[in-house]
Amino acid sequence: MNKPEKIKVLYVDDELNNLMGFKASFRVNYNILIAQNNEEALEHLKNHPDIRVIFSDQRMPDKTGVEFFEQIRGTYPKPIRILITGYTDVEAVINAINLGNVFRYVKKPWSEADILTAINEANKFYVANMLMETKNAELQIAYDELDKFAYSVTHDMRNPLLSILGAVELSREIDDISEIREMLHLIKESVGNLDAYIQNIHDYYNVNRGQLEISEIDFKDIVEEQLETHRLTAKMKQVNFNTRIVQNETFRGDAMSMKIILNNLLSNAFKYQKKERTDKNVELDIVVDAGELTMLIKDNGIGISGNHIGDIFNMFFRATSQDVGSGFGLYNVKDALLKLNGEIKVDSVINEGTTFTVKVRNK
Amino acid sequence: MSSLQPNFIVIDDSRLDCFISEKIIRNSGNSGSVRSFTEASEALQFIKDAPIIEHPKTVILLDIQMPVMSGFDFAEAFEQLNEDKKSDYIIFMVSSSTNESDRIRIGNYPSIRCLYKKPLNKEIINELIDQVFIAG
Repeated sequence: MNKPEKIKVLYVDDELNNLMGFKASFRVNYNILIAQNNEEALEHLKNHPDIRVIFSDQRMPDKTGVEFFEQIRGTYPKPIRILITGYTDVEAVINAINLGNVFRYVKKPWSEADILTAINEANKFYVANMLMETKNAELQIAYDELDKFAYSVTHDMRNPLLSILGAVELSREIDDISEIREMLHLIKESVGNLDAYIQNIHDYYNVNRGQLEISEIDFKDIVEEQLETHRLTAKMKQVNFNTRIVQNETFRGDAMSMKIILNNLLSNAFKYQKKERTDKNVELDIVVDAGELTMLIKDNGIGISGNHIGDIFNMFFRATSQDVGSGFGLYNVKDALLKLNGEIKVDSVINEGTTFTVKVRNK
Repeated sequence: MSSLQPNFIVIDDSRLDCFISEKIIRNSGNSGSVRSFTEASEALQFIKDAPIIEHPKTVILLDIQMPVMSGFDFAEAFEQLNEDKKSDYIIFMVSSSTNESDRIRIGNYPSIRCLYKKPLNKEIINELIDQVFIAG
């Protein structure tokens, strides 16, 4: 049996007898650290960032307990501070609360029951604080994403619309039909851009807020759908599209996430081809074996330069201006895989091509 | 009136925006040549390789949000060029979203004159050209 790790408690007191008594009483249930002076206490705090509760005696020669707490509060805010003091030190208690921001105080001489209650309560408070900190960090990430999102929405959604508006205004001054045609072609590109962006937001929402729906997946169906989606692009761009499926067992997973992952990786594979190459090629290789799905998406396109490869999964990052893109696709892929507990690896050589390898465990 | 007409360089990742800008600039009747780039890095190379321009300055219309090299990345690199080279150009930023932080950021780049909101039109282009001659 794995016992949960003992809570670390630091006790600071200048009287060695008190320290020993404390340690003897509580060492069975807690990991007790003791310090006879300020210096030793600081050393413990430095070496044990996971100390949860600190008891300090108020009356000590170098520094009072309150002064000690006041000193460490900024550097070590996490441990819960408890002051041990006699009845007569009312002033100390008031200061403790106002300056040292202590959680509670225990009167001297302490009883075992007092200390146990204090540790328990302090620990609960500590855990609650930590939870809040994690939640706050998550919230901060969500806020940051929202910020980026708002900035991007105003730009990526407005820009194509404003371009189209500009083009319409301009068309009133153009008589040449071939120029109008050229402009219509570019307008279509802008509309496609906007539509892809909205589709990506939809995916983002599905990945982030949606629940996973685990069902049996037949990869023949999934690939069939992808072939259909990319057939036209493959034909227009003259790219060979080869698929291979080896499915030895039933696979249980979230079909929506699989679609988002494959669709984005394949779209990129078709988009970022080398225009001058005559043997343009995209390969999709799917193997379900021994409880694991492995998908290989391989192209012989423009590749990703080494200094961009670390950023490609970031929201709104784009490594090239070739073709339209929202900077959202690979972010969604990574996010979907995070939810599926899967992994993704990328191998790329500039001007030679890129291979993405996706692995997901069977549910 | 000066008979000199400034050349233009348009830097925008949207091909439609390049097309529109080119047309509006040409239709203004007050410009010299117009060149557009969908990659800012290519524009930068073009400027580095360009011969010295006597007069008037060449106008650069610079989009802010672009992949790989953004408008601000371009400005950063442009500021590193030597003074003679820089003095041949006058940069105007253009963007569909004119938020305050972009406006403030522009202050860090002496080569950037100001920020215009998309879509561009004939009036804006003529205003730009006026500014070129005021700037000398």
